[in-house]
Amino acid sequence: MNLTPYEMVGIGAAVAAILMVGSGHLRVNLTMYALQTVLIAVETGLYAYSKHEDHFYFVAAAIFLVKAYGVPRFLSWIIKHIEVRSDPGTVLPTPLVMHLSIILFGLSYLLACQLPAPGGHVLVLAGASAAISLVFTGLLMMLTRRIALSQIIGFLTMENGIYLFALTQTEGMPMMVEMGILLDVLGGVMIAGLLAFKIKKSFEHIDVTQLTRLRD
Amino acid sequence: MKIIVTSVLFVLCIFWLPLVTVGIIRKTKARLQGRIGASVLQPFYDFVKLWKKGETVCETVSWMFRSSVAINASAMLVLSVFVPWLSFKPVVAGDDLFLVLYLFALMRFFTILMALDPGTAFGAFGASREACLSMLVEPSLFISLAALGQSVHTSSLSAIFSFANTGHLAAVPIWFSVGVSLFLGSLVELSRMPIDDPTTHLELTMVHEAMLLENSGRNLLLAEFAHGLRLVVLYGLSVQCFLHVLVCVLPLTSLWLGVLSLGGIFLLGVLTALIESVSVKLQWKKAPEFIAYGLTMSLLAAVASLIEGVQL
Amino acid sequence: MELLLLCLIPIAMAILVFAVEPIKFAGRLVAGAAWVQLAVTLALVHPVLFGWKESLRPAPEFQIDRLAAAFLVLTAVVIACALSHAHVFFLRELNGPHPPGRRHVHVIYACSLLFLVSMSAVYICDSLGYLWIAVEATTLLSAPLVYYSRTKNALEATWKYLIICSVGIAFALLGTIFIFAASQHGAIVGGSLRISDLCAVAPDLEYSLLRLGFIFCFLGYGTKAGMFPLHSWLPDAHSEAPAPGSAMLSGALLNCALFCIWRISQIVVASRHPLLSFDLNVLAGTATVVAAGLFLIRQHGLKRLWAYSSIENVGLMLVAIGLGSGPLFFLQAVNHSLAKVALFLLSGNVIQASGTKALGELTGIMKVAPVWGVLFAMSALAVTGVPPFGAFISEWLILARSVDCRLWWTAILLIVGLSLGFVAVCMHLGRILLGSPKPGVEPFRPLATSVIPSLLVLACLILGLTTSPRFFHVHWASNGFGM
Repeated sequence: MNLTPYEMVGIGAAVAAILMVGSGHLRVNLTMYALQTVLIAVETGLYAYSKHEDHFYFVAAAIFLVKAYGVPRFLSWIIKHIEVRSDPGTVLPTPLVMHLSIILFGLSYLLACQLPAPGGHVLVLAGASAAISLVFTGLLMMLTRRIALSQIIGFLTMENGIYLFALTQTEGMPMMVEMGILLDVLGGVMIAGLLAFKIKKSFEHIDVTQLTRLRD
Repeated sequence: MKIIVTSVLFVLCIFWLPLVTVGIIRKTKARLQGRIGASVLQPFYDFVKLWKKGETVCETVSWMFRSSVAINASAMLVLSVFVPWLSFKPVVAGDDLFLVLYLFALMRFFTILMALDPGTAFGAFGASREACLSMLVEPSLFISLAALGQSVHTSSLSAIFSFANTGHLAAVPIWFSVGVSLFLGSLVELSRMPIDDPTTHLELTMVHEAMLLENSGRNLLLAEFAHGLRLVVLYGLSVQCFLHVLVCVLPLTSLWLGVLSLGGIFLLGVLTALIESVSVKLQWKKAPEFIAYGLTMSLLAAVASLIEGVQL
Repeated sequence: MELLLLCLIPIAMAILVFAVEPIKFAGRLVAGAAWVQLAVTLALVHPVLFGWKESLRPAPEFQIDRLAAAFLVLTAVVIACALSHAHVFFLRELNGPHPPGRRHVHVIYACSLLFLVSMSAVYICDSLGYLWIAVEATTLLSAPLVYYSRTKNALEATWKYLIICSVGIAFALLGTIFIFAASQHGAIVGGSLRISDLCAVAPDLEYSLLRLGFIFCFLGYGTKAGMFPLHSWLPDAHSEAPAPGSAMLSGALLNCALFCIWRISQIVVASRHPLLSFDLNVLAGTATVVAAGLFLIRQHGLKRLWAYSSIENVGLMLVAIGLGSGPLFFLQAVNHSLAKVALFLLSGNVIQASGTKALGELTGIMKVAPVWGVLFAMSALAVTGVPPFGAFISEWLILARSVDCRLWWTAILLIVGLSLGFVAVCMHLGRILLGSPKPGVEPFRPLATSVIPSLLVLACLILGLTTSPRFFHVHWASNGFGM
């Protein structure tokens, strides 16, 4: 199996996500998230180039501007203002989460092998396993973190994985749909970010595992 | 003819390279801190000085104390012959990766015994930390070498690092992540900066130096030399991995490979000095997080080699 | 053109409402707009609703079939009723002990109108992609409704709502992509997201991808619908939102999410393995009903009680979807929505009058405010499916249908779950209504606060008296109407 540059970029994004999970520092997480999203934008650009589908250049540019630049800027602004630097994690120690996500990376390869492959597509198997691994990594991050912001980053990682899956497993979603999804994600992040702000303000902490006032 | 030249060169390397590399690290650190620093050859002078000095040994120690150092140094010499840390190292039969890993473990075992034998508190501190660190770092060394072994279906290190079947792009990620993993692992193994500060004088936080506190004279010389040799061997192994990455992209002659192996070791030495100048020692609690990155890189290599089944 | 007409009034009003400073006028304006919107919706969809036309296609990727038309009207009714009552509710809130900021009420009004637009969009989308976007938009637009009171509890509820639903919806997106990929494998060149196209070529869709897609979409939209065990956000959000907001969430949003499941199930039903939809829906529905029945017993918040009753109804509707009967699904939805909206609005009155949500501290409403008490009892009985009301007929039909399909265990478990729910609700109801009232509980504006709930209860009663079970049996025999 010979890796093409397309596959390298996709797997690079998955590896960036895995390295992201290993750190408890929110700034490191954010930087790795930005790196991973830039790689996904590059992947979209390569896809547009190889398929001669020019409108995907717009999608790539939008991803770069919104998800790789805008969202990290917004979140780092919030991090600055709520004065939280790192996430102690919950359930599992942070390094173990990183190793678990590597094992899940292997598992996602096995899952990707089970999928029927679309004919004549450039980035099938590696792309699919990278995408599934991103989804797993994001989910794992959401499950093992305390700070609201790391949960947002985990959600965004998962979203990246789903997008990568769409890019590699299908012959181009309709562009309107892609753009709508991007807009919705942006709106969601904005609201969640502002809520994190409010949580810090009224609870004096931002640990979502301690949000247990409402119970049956 | 060629084998004689390379063998002579290799034996020479075993003896002068550790001292020069240690010198380079110290010189670079001094320069980065704005000092002129001692000459690069200072370790040679220290060597001679220690040779001439007498030895003071604690009364309470057993025979184990002195023989441990000798065992360590000889194990290290055997290792330096087995591990392919220079591209021109002559091939020796039996250089199995398991043997190599267990020789490293043997050294650690005797170092710890040596530290415990005099019964000082600081030595015991250092020994317990060393045991903990080695337990954490061993899997990453093991998994990264095993990943390489799995991808070429052999456990012979010289076969793995033989620069055969190069020019294969798929091998790049495996070699690269193994290289990074070995480098991170060797920082821990050699008690370098983010884990342990080798220049500190606070015995409470030391790891490696704390274990050598009771050694002096020729005994200390032997221990220092073994440590220096361990440094170049581990750095050299990591450099070989990066050279394999390089060779995948751009074919090189064996002369160039030899020069680059030596240059790479010096470069890693400079890099170590750089890391030690800009970073601070990690809190002991945080050490596992740092080591985890080494293990992560080796696991990535393992997953990559298992998944792809690449013939390197 | 029709699309523009459908969203013009609410969007324009959502912007305009900020310009109307006095809350009193703003409330009237918004309520008026909602009723006009209902009229517009009716004018637009009545040909489909009465069966004169098969379906409407306002734009290439949009389609309104009969079930969608019915749900569109139901949503507009729910929102109009909730907003009409909201006018009274917020005036009282502003004079109450913890008055909200003026802008907060404006935000609530604007968001409710936009929420209506996004929910309408869910019903008219023919494309799975747009469907997803619309559902995600409903989450984002209803988050401010939950966050209304700005308290710690509200914050917690909003956070949970947003995160759990967003993750759920993200899985639905993954499912959508799977279905799109399934359509590219030989069925449609270049693939398609249109539900009508997908249904037409369903037997040719790559089954393994379709199955994965269905499961992910089911879990995703099921989270949004409050399906057990993914329901944890629902009681929190419903109990923290202001009463009209809870009414909208329970009466309109849950239907929206269930309608998505219905749409996806239709594709699977048309494919080579229709049993997948049947199994999954019936299983999840039954589990939800039984779980909700158990949860209902030990509740100590008034609105949490009704939230769990909503979950119970969601379970019933899931069973109806699994049984493949569109009309039954709609009948259950309409009965539940009308009664539950009345119930939430009345609960709002009671909570405002007594200043607490805790079930333990609410007693003797009957003595203090007999009108509220009677309406409260009637709507609670309507929700649990007591005979003269509509929910009885729909629940009866669901049970009958499942027995027809030889689903003995499902029928038994449904009966157990429903009876548990009924007993629990009656137990709590008795405590709230009877007994001696606490001092200081004063009813306010008994007429204005009872108009909308009484109309809704009346509607439930009429539905119960006029729905003919025979209609369903005839249609099942001919396998028509949405099947």
